[in-house]
Amino acid sequence: MLFIAPALAVLLSLSIYPLIYSVSISLQQATASGAWTLDNFTRLATDDFFLTAMAHTFVYAIAALTCEFLLGLGLALLLNKQIRGRGLFRASLLVPMMLPTVVVGVVWRLMLNPNFGAVNGTLKQLGLNTENLTWTASPRLAMLSVIAVDVWQWTPFVFLVLLAGLQAIPQEPYEAALIDGSSRWQTFLHVTLPLLKPSILIVLLLRTMDLLRVFDQIFILTEGGPGFATETISLYIYRTAFRFFDFGYAAAMSFVLLALTNVISAAYIRLLQGETQKGT
Amino acid sequence: MRPTIFLISLLLVALSTTTCINNKNRHPLRTLLTLAVVSGVEGDALKQAALDYESQTSTHIDVVEFPYANLFEKEFIDLKARTGAYDLIMLDDPWFPRFASEQFLTDFTPLLQKRGKSGPDPDFVETSLALCRHPYQTGPFYALPYVGNSQLFFYRKDLFEKYSLQQPATWNDVLAAAKTIHEKETAGADGAKIYGYVMRAAQGNAAVADFMPIFWAFGGEMFDASGKPTVNSPEGIAALEFMLELGKYSPPGYASFNADDVGAHLLQGTAAMSINWPAWISSFGNPSKSKVIGKMEFTTLPGAQKSGQAEIGNWLIAIPRDSLNAEAAMDFLLWATSAEQMKRSAERGNPPTRKSLFQNAELLAKYPAYPAQLRSLESSRPRPRTPHWTEIENAFGIFLSKANSGVLTPAEAMNQANAEIEKILQRAQ
Repeated sequence: MLFIAPALAVLLSLSIYPLIYSVSISLQQATASGAWTLDNFTRLATDDFFLTAMAHTFVYAIAALTCEFLLGLGLALLLNKQIRGRGLFRASLLVPMMLPTVVVGVVWRLMLNPNFGAVNGTLKQLGLNTENLTWTASPRLAMLSVIAVDVWQWTPFVFLVLLAGLQAIPQEPYEAALIDGSSRWQTFLHVTLPLLKPSILIVLLLRTMDLLRVFDQIFILTEGGPGFATETISLYIYRTAFRFFDFGYAAAMSFVLLALTNVISAAYIRLLQGETQKGT
Repeated sequence: MRPTIFLISLLLVALSTTTCINNKNRHPLRTLLTLAVVSGVEGDALKQAALDYESQTSTHIDVVEFPYANLFEKEFIDLKARTGAYDLIMLDDPWFPRFASEQFLTDFTPLLQKRGKSGPDPDFVETSLALCRHPYQTGPFYALPYVGNSQLFFYRKDLFEKYSLQQPATWNDVLAAAKTIHEKETAGADGAKIYGYVMRAAQGNAAVADFMPIFWAFGGEMFDASGKPTVNSPEGIAALEFMLELGKYSPPGYASFNADDVGAHLLQGTAAMSINWPAWISSFGNPSKSKVIGKMEFTTLPGAQKSGQAEIGNWLIAIPRDSLNAEAAMDFLLWATSAEQMKRSAERGNPPTRKSLFQNAELLAKYPAYPAQLRSLESSRPRPRTPHWTEIENAFGIFLSKANSGVLTPAEAMNQANAEIEKILQRAQ
């Protein structure tokens, strides 16, 4: 007991106390009286900024997750074979993931500059009209741009986990499928995918949690603009807490995000547990 | 054995805590001041002043530096928690009403009286001094102005001469000149393209800062006499319509532009006019950055229905209420803002807040835009002096950005902005 006391003290002071404190401020009025109230939570239902930011977060998460998964799976399947230069491909694919997110944001902000950026510069060289390609200034293109940057940075992570999953699949089921005369597609659908499912669920779980709390690259790339078009819930919580100093409301929003993330994570974990039980 | 290890651990923790608490007394014979400054040229000058002060007195000054984006939250949280960690803080003037209304700052009246002064030196520019009073213009002083920024109108005098255009006095002159330059200078190959105007319209502070001078010139006001928001007045909507008209002559993507994008266009010679801050002036003469050396001119903001007024953006220095060394802090503050020391700060690149320095021959030779800067500063206006300005500016900036990116019409944007500002004020009551 004596030896776990320091760890317990750290846990209490760094996790438990802040959690209890944030629950209490989310349930208190911001005024000096500090009376108990549910105002911060009822305000959420009528706050257009909150609802829009929440919708943007889900659009961003679903689109980025779909692209990252499909691309990551495709690359993993491609590089799971003995091809020349496989090591070099793998190593270079991992570079974006190793870069700090802020650096990625700054680099892409410069590259997406409509007038001086490398992206429009290259397209111009190819003879395309880039006059309307204002990547971070058009509400539609801005969301597409921030999703593309996330896909660029995090597809390697999905690829890495799925490649590890593919390499852990034994050869026997493939040999059996070959003897049974199964086509490549049938083998992929009935052998590879089911055996890869635990890895798929783990990577989807980790990426979903990350995507729902996305902050850095959007803050650098667009600051949530233009006209709130790329404002996600983490950005709005940050502004509410550290720009407007409305900590109670920011805490209430954080708890809603936490609850949603927990529900989604629980669904993934349930599926994962089901898979594990099937496997045993 | 185990209790001994535990006791030793406890002792070490206690010792380190005591060391932290006694940090302020590590120079037993010297007064220790802690100063929070912003990173960049404004803070650098004050940092250098602190070093000079240390060498002349028995005061040791610890300088804590934060980037602009973090300074407000660091100071606010610390002052709210009443830790007394800082003896002097640099603050951007829009933050002042919030800090003063939360009673975070020291009233300078007794400190000045103790030194035989009834108020700050009258050499300070009145508009800068007014920012340091709470309530605005009339109340006691809680800060002194250190960096005298206010917006200026930048234009390419070579292009104005080429097309026989007069220095713009009104926003209609600006629009006409932008149209002429845009039409005549966009016909060539890509490298030769010059846009008539460039502005910041990124969501938030950027869009609001570039819009306010147009809004005021068109007769718009954020609030009426009773404090109700009035941004959707006919004058306000006309001002936003004008901003969008000007946007037609701005480079593509201006709706996401911030200060660095505007600066890049001006330095590369791809835009002819802009509202900007004096900090950029020196860059135009730097051959490693500028393609327009000797081609830029600086003047006061154009007018419309009303005469032109720039947005003021001074850096102030205040003493937190919980400073343990308010007297020593005041001595340093009066020294750092004296004419002699402010001249040094000006030589390091900061616009002064003293009238005499704007007229100083040495400084004028180095900074020829000083007469325009002084005129701009003297006729400038502050952002509305409300403690809720950060939230209001954020909401207003979102709707300005929506209009500039084509999502809403000017009338829709201003009506929705007005409703949102009203909500913010109601919540604050």
